[in-house]
This record gives sequence, structure tokens and C-alpha cells, in this order.
Amino acid sequence: MIYKLFSAYNPPMRNAQETLDQTFLEMRWRCLSLAADLDRIERADGGPTLLATDPRIARLRQAMAILLHERSSRAVAVQNLFSDQSPPPSR
Amino acid sequence: MRFIDPHIHCVSRTTDDYHFMARCGVVGVSEPAFWAGYDRSSASSFADYFRHLTVVEPARAARYGIDHYCWLCINAKEAENVSLSREVIALIPPLLDHPRVLGIGEIGLNKNTRNEITIFEEQVDLAARHDQLILIHTPHLEDKHKGTSIITSILKNDRRIRPQRVLIDHCEEHTIRLARDAGFWAGLTVYPVTKVTPQRAADVLETFGPQMICVNSASDWGESGPSNLTDTYLEFRRRGHTEQEAISIFHDNPCRFLGQSRKWKIAPSGMGVPPI
Repeated sequence: MIYKLFSAYNPPMRNAQETLDQTFLEMRWRCLSLAADLDRIERADGGPTLLATDPRIARLRQAMAILLHERSSRAVAVQNLFSDQSPPPSR
Repeated sequence: MRFIDPHIHCVSRTTDDYHFMARCGVVGVSEPAFWAGYDRSSASSFADYFRHLTVVEPARAARYGIDHYCWLCINAKEAENVSLSREVIALIPPLLDHPRVLGIGEIGLNKNTRNEITIFEEQVDLAARHDQLILIHTPHLEDKHKGTSIITSILKNDRRIRPQRVLIDHCEEHTIRLARDAGFWAGLTVYPVTKVTPQRAADVLETFGPQMICVNSASDWGESGPSNLTDTYLEFRRRGHTEQEAISIFHDNPCRFLGQSRKWKIAPSGMGVPPI
């Protein structure tokens, strides 16, 4: 049997497969959490109207589109989406 | 492993937190002046607060073997009150020679208003006239990018300011280049929720490189705590980064920035990766 040499003190840098393996359950949890947040808002009084009209929800929809379609720097793109883009106050 | 937490609000923390930090290997901290969670009624409240920062917290920390330093200023939120701010700023110069005071901070912007900008510029001038290090608070959430742009523009336009003596704190993915590309140090403030998490802080260190970055926990009166610094170290290490790289980031980088003040007594370990 071949044993892979492994040091717990200085482990090798993990590859993409290992990164996904270690993170997937948390990613799944975060996705479910967001889904449940939206369900909770919808169930409350005025929920469907709020989901259809609130600009923050519209931003969240745009952010989810970034997650699905951007190829890199998704975090920077989402940060910019949620940033005030107006000019500084006049002096 | 020895840690420095270069931005922590010890006045908001229990003695158990000092005990926890000591057990984790935190040997030095610096505490900026900040908003107390309510607007103070007069400048005399700040005089008491400054005594707390320069006398009480260093003594509390010393009982756990932690070297405590501080920064003085009027914070960005209360800077909206210009007349109060000017009274507070007048209290600061006599305290700048205190052995525990490293500089002016955390100054900056909160909602990016004209009044905040006026007081920010007056405190930058104070720091420049007294040759002090500067610790910058950048706004949170949707105001961060705009506020960071305004702050870096003001600092770059003041020829007295040497960027390597300024740390722009609370950087995130979309603002870290604004700080470092102009030669400033960048701070990553790690929170359990709403802001940069340990995982995202490790992502930033990997994506942008660890040079001139200081990681801190803020540990204020909100949902936060000193474990966020050590959790970021653990996240960084379990990805496969070496102990030497971690020492550079979590101990030596803050020692290099803070060590520009002669008062800071903890030297870089010499065991980390040399700075580029």
C-alpha cells in the first residue's frame, strides 16, 4: 500500500478539488440560508409585493447573476454592485 | 506563534478576552479611539476616554503580558459635530508625547459628509504638524468605496504625508488597491458576520499578496471578538501556507508599521518571510 506523505504542521497547498470538497457543505448551507430568508420575507404580510419592488432585493438578484455569469473577481464585482457610486460632496 | 492585534477596542472587552488573547499568543495590541455606541455630550467625556486609553487599558493588558498602545482622535461619526470635534482635537497635542500614544486614529469618514471631511482634514493636519503615524477608519458597507476614494485623495494631495506612515483600515476586496497602490498600508478587519470573514481575509491575502497588510479583529462592542484574528491565522494555515508566512503577516507586518513609532517596543521576529 502506498501512503501519501502528509504533514499536519505544513500541509501542502490544496488544489481546486480539495478546496471544493472542504467548502461545498458550507456553500450549500449559505445558499439554503438565502433561500430561506427570501421564503420568510415572502410568507410575511406584504411579502410578495416587497420582493417585487424593494431595490435591495433587486440588487440581490443582480448579485446572484454575477455569481452565475462572472468568470473571475466575483467578490469585487459584488462589492462594486453594493457600493454608493455617487460623486463626493461639493466643497 | 505570537500575534499582534493592531486594531482592537479593548475598552469594550471583558477581562476574559484578555485572558483568551494571552492564551492564544497575542503579545501586543494597539487601540484606536472610536465611537462609544452613543454620541458623547461634551469634550470632557473624551478627556476621560483618553485617560482610559493611555492609563487604564495598558494596565489591564499588562496583567496578561500584553503590551498595549493607543491612538487618539475624534472618531468619524462624532466628527459630524464640528464644534465638539474642534474642542476634542484641542485636547490631543499635550498627550502626543505619552509613551502609549502611537499617533492619530482612527480618523476617517462614516457617511462621507462635508462636515466629516472638514474634521478629517483638520486631524490629518494635526498629524502632519506633529509628525504622527495615522490610522484611518474607512466607512462600512455601501459607503466604503466612495469614502476610501475621498480619503486617499486627500492624503495624496497633502505633500507632508508619507504614505508608509498611514494605515488605511477596514479594506475589502474592492478597496485594497486604492490603499496599497498609493503606498499606504492596508488593514483587514475580520468580523464573524456582515463584513470580512476569516475565509475572505485569507482570500485577500492570497489574491493581493501579504505585503503591507495588517490583519486585525476590531473587537468592538458589536458582534466581534479577538478570536477572529486567530481564526484567520488558522484558515490561512490550513490552506497550506507556512508558519513563516503566517509570522510575517500576523506578527511582523504590524511590528513594521507600528515600529515606525519609537514608542512601539516589539520588534519583527526575524523568523517570517522578508518583506518584498
